[in-house]
Amino acid sequence: MAIPVYVVTGFLDAGKTTFLNDMFRRPDWRDCKIAVFRFESGEIALETSVVSCTDVMFSKRELDAGPERVTKRMREVLNSGDFDEIWIEWNGVTPFAKLEEMLLSHALRDLCAMGKVIHVADAAKVETLLGRVGGALPEQIANCDFAVIRGAYTSRGLEKFRKLLSSLNPGVRVFGAAAGDDICRSLFRRKHSPWISFLAPLALAVALYLFAAPVLESAAIPVNRIVNVFLGIILQAIPFLLIGVMLSSAIRIFVSKSAIESRFPKSIGAGMLVAILAGFCLPVCDCASIPIFRSLVKKGVPLPAAVTFMTATPVINPVVILSTYYAFSGDMRVVISRVCFGLISAVLIGVAFALRPPKGEVLSGGTVDRLMCGCGFYEGAESVTTLRGKFDLLFRHAQAEFFDVGKYLVIGVFVSAVFQALGAGTFAAARSGAGLAFSVVLMMLMGFVLSLCSSSDAVIARSFANRFPMGALMGFMVFGPMMDIKNVLMLSSCFSKPFVIRLAVSAFVICFAVVFLFSDWGGVSLW
Amino acid sequence: MVTRARVLNPQVFLELLCYAVFSVLTFYLMYSGKYLTYVTPRMAPYLYFTAVVMLLWAFTGVFRLFRPGNRVRVAHCFVPVIPILLILLPHSPLSAADLSYNYAGGGSFSGSAAKPAAAVSSPQNASPPEAGADYGAAQSSPGAGLPEPPVSNAAPFDASDDDDFEDVYVPETDASDKPVIEVGDDEFYSWLDELYMNLDMYVGRRIAMTGFVFKDPEVLGADEFVPARLGMTCCVADLVPYGLVCKYNGTGELTPDEWVRVVGVIQAGVYEGMEEPQIAVTSIEPAEPVEGYIYPFF
Repeated sequence: MAIPVYVVTGFLDAGKTTFLNDMFRRPDWRDCKIAVFRFESGEIALETSVVSCTDVMFSKRELDAGPERVTKRMREVLNSGDFDEIWIEWNGVTPFAKLEEMLLSHALRDLCAMGKVIHVADAAKVETLLGRVGGALPEQIANCDFAVIRGAYTSRGLEKFRKLLSSLNPGVRVFGAAAGDDICRSLFRRKHSPWISFLAPLALAVALYLFAAPVLESAAIPVNRIVNVFLGIILQAIPFLLIGVMLSSAIRIFVSKSAIESRFPKSIGAGMLVAILAGFCLPVCDCASIPIFRSLVKKGVPLPAAVTFMTATPVINPVVILSTYYAFSGDMRVVISRVCFGLISAVLIGVAFALRPPKGEVLSGGTVDRLMCGCGFYEGAESVTTLRGKFDLLFRHAQAEFFDVGKYLVIGVFVSAVFQALGAGTFAAARSGAGLAFSVVLMMLMGFVLSLCSSSDAVIARSFANRFPMGALMGFMVFGPMMDIKNVLMLSSCFSKPFVIRLAVSAFVICFAVVFLFSDWGGVSLW
Repeated sequence: MVTRARVLNPQVFLELLCYAVFSVLTFYLMYSGKYLTYVTPRMAPYLYFTAVVMLLWAFTGVFRLFRPGNRVRVAHCFVPVIPILLILLPHSPLSAADLSYNYAGGGSFSGSAAKPAAAVSSPQNASPPEAGADYGAAQSSPGAGLPEPPVSNAAPFDASDDDDFEDVYVPETDASDKPVIEVGDDEFYSWLDELYMNLDMYVGRRIAMTGFVFKDPEVLGADEFVPARLGMTCCVADLVPYGLVCKYNGTGELTPDEWVRVVGVIQAGVYEGMEEPQIAVTSIEPAEPVEGYIYPFF
């Protein structure tokens, strides 16, 4: 019979032994026989008097010298008595994966069954430690089942740490050290089987679709159309999302931060020029430009230039220019206007961010997110030297980003598909001969809601041509690619809420101003 | 490194499965041509790229299958699983009736309905430069299970071979005794394009084409309808009816969205101040629905 193993991880002096003492003092462990393996020699001693336990210590040197010897010794200890539980205080600077390997070794496999992993952190230190002490700490945080924060006494304080740890371990539960009852409950809660938590929603979704679709169809909700439109946009977006995450991961792994910082133009004007040229050269739509934008910001490209890049790319790239050309039957005035308006708007949005730099952290993950991502690799790209290792990292990184951005893409496309199937007509019906300003705003809103790929929206714009003035179509074609439901959702996966809102609002206001002023000024005679 | 037992990591396994299934499904959609019910042939290289990248990802995942992981997550796998499920679950390609939701509320797409949005551009320049040589091949088989197109005894060119149709074309001088132009289901757009480009050569000739009845009081008169096909410019979200306006006194009796075969005489009509080909109908008969969309830019 395998003995359940409970692991306590945490950096040196985080309070791991104190946590063990607190736990064992509880009545739950009164009649328990425990084997405690400690891989750290802290200042606090384990109080062996309150509970019947066998305390075995291993130094870091022993661990590094030969895990085989350690596991053999552990096996001897375990065979020497009839233990109910195993508690392990793991070393703070050794990756948790090493312990997992040891527990799966032939010496221990039949004796140990992994229970829960608890990460103990000191509220005063963990934030400064993260990112400075190597990969072991974030790796331990990412692998824990729940965390205990010592020294945080208010619920607001705990919330702050929950956010911090969540950026490494999404959805992790965080307790204060005093919440012994909650800790115990989490400790003995059964783990969900991953197979069931995957297959149950899957089966539910299939059943729901098969039963609900006919019902909804009969209620005049065009499920079939929604599914078709959803798949149409998704199949168009996923290839570009893949291009985007591969390119952005390549930037992260093959381009060092210092190279960008030293080579990227310091002045805002030159920076924007580079951003625009890069935007023109990359034949990608908005699905791809957002991941690239994100890694550019993380690599330290000045925000105004990065913003200009993100907003300009989907409007001015060659694919978009071509599709606009074809959609409007080779009318060069439309093509040139779209590119110019897009350029002017993108530059102005960048300037807006240069004049008033956003306060606070732009990236939502804060300091932690700058250094690592959810790809499970915490040592930093510089530590991988072999080409094969780099490519492996590239793929893993791209995959993590694919899931990260992809979930917002799926949600955004779904919302847009529902709108297109149900509500597009209402927009068109709302026109009713209002002034240019109103039609421009209306078409911009429509561009926002429909969330079309920028390489295809020109055709849709064209289909509105005899209902809306050209200026309104310009609003649609300039603002739509820069900002729409799916872009806002994708941006919020990595940027702070105030920043995303500010970006969306400035894009809206500036696009409107540019389109409205210029089409009024030169547009009447043009169109 | 400790020698140890190999335990499957469920998260890596599920991710690998997602990549592999997505890749295989994409290859299947390409191979069967079913992708054409969602996107246009222009997406073909991008979709192949997707399938290859996913396959690579699945392959590299094999090396991590037995890496231990305490915290196993699966929720993120639904990002690829949702599209996979929706592709596999039963649903049908859109028909004209599905789109009528649009027209009901004032019609977002009906603006360009009566005429092909880009009919003025000839097929040569209508195909974007990044389009590879395989687009022509892709067009010759749009949609799986498409009925064999009727032999068009007067077709001046082969629709799948756009590049040199202008050389093959022989100008007509006296059209009245020429045979009926039988517009094949695969040649629908090519013929629209040809008629728009060279209307003078065809005025007075008889033509037969199959489409669904499209009537829109906002853009068409009471005696006008369009035997239309749905055309896709980028993806299924932008389906727009394409076709020629038909003058027919019995238009009122036609049921919208019903498939008909129209025979009539080509004439030059005027729509919104522009000269365009129209058909004066001589006969209408019910027809079998034609599967598949048309792809105007290829």
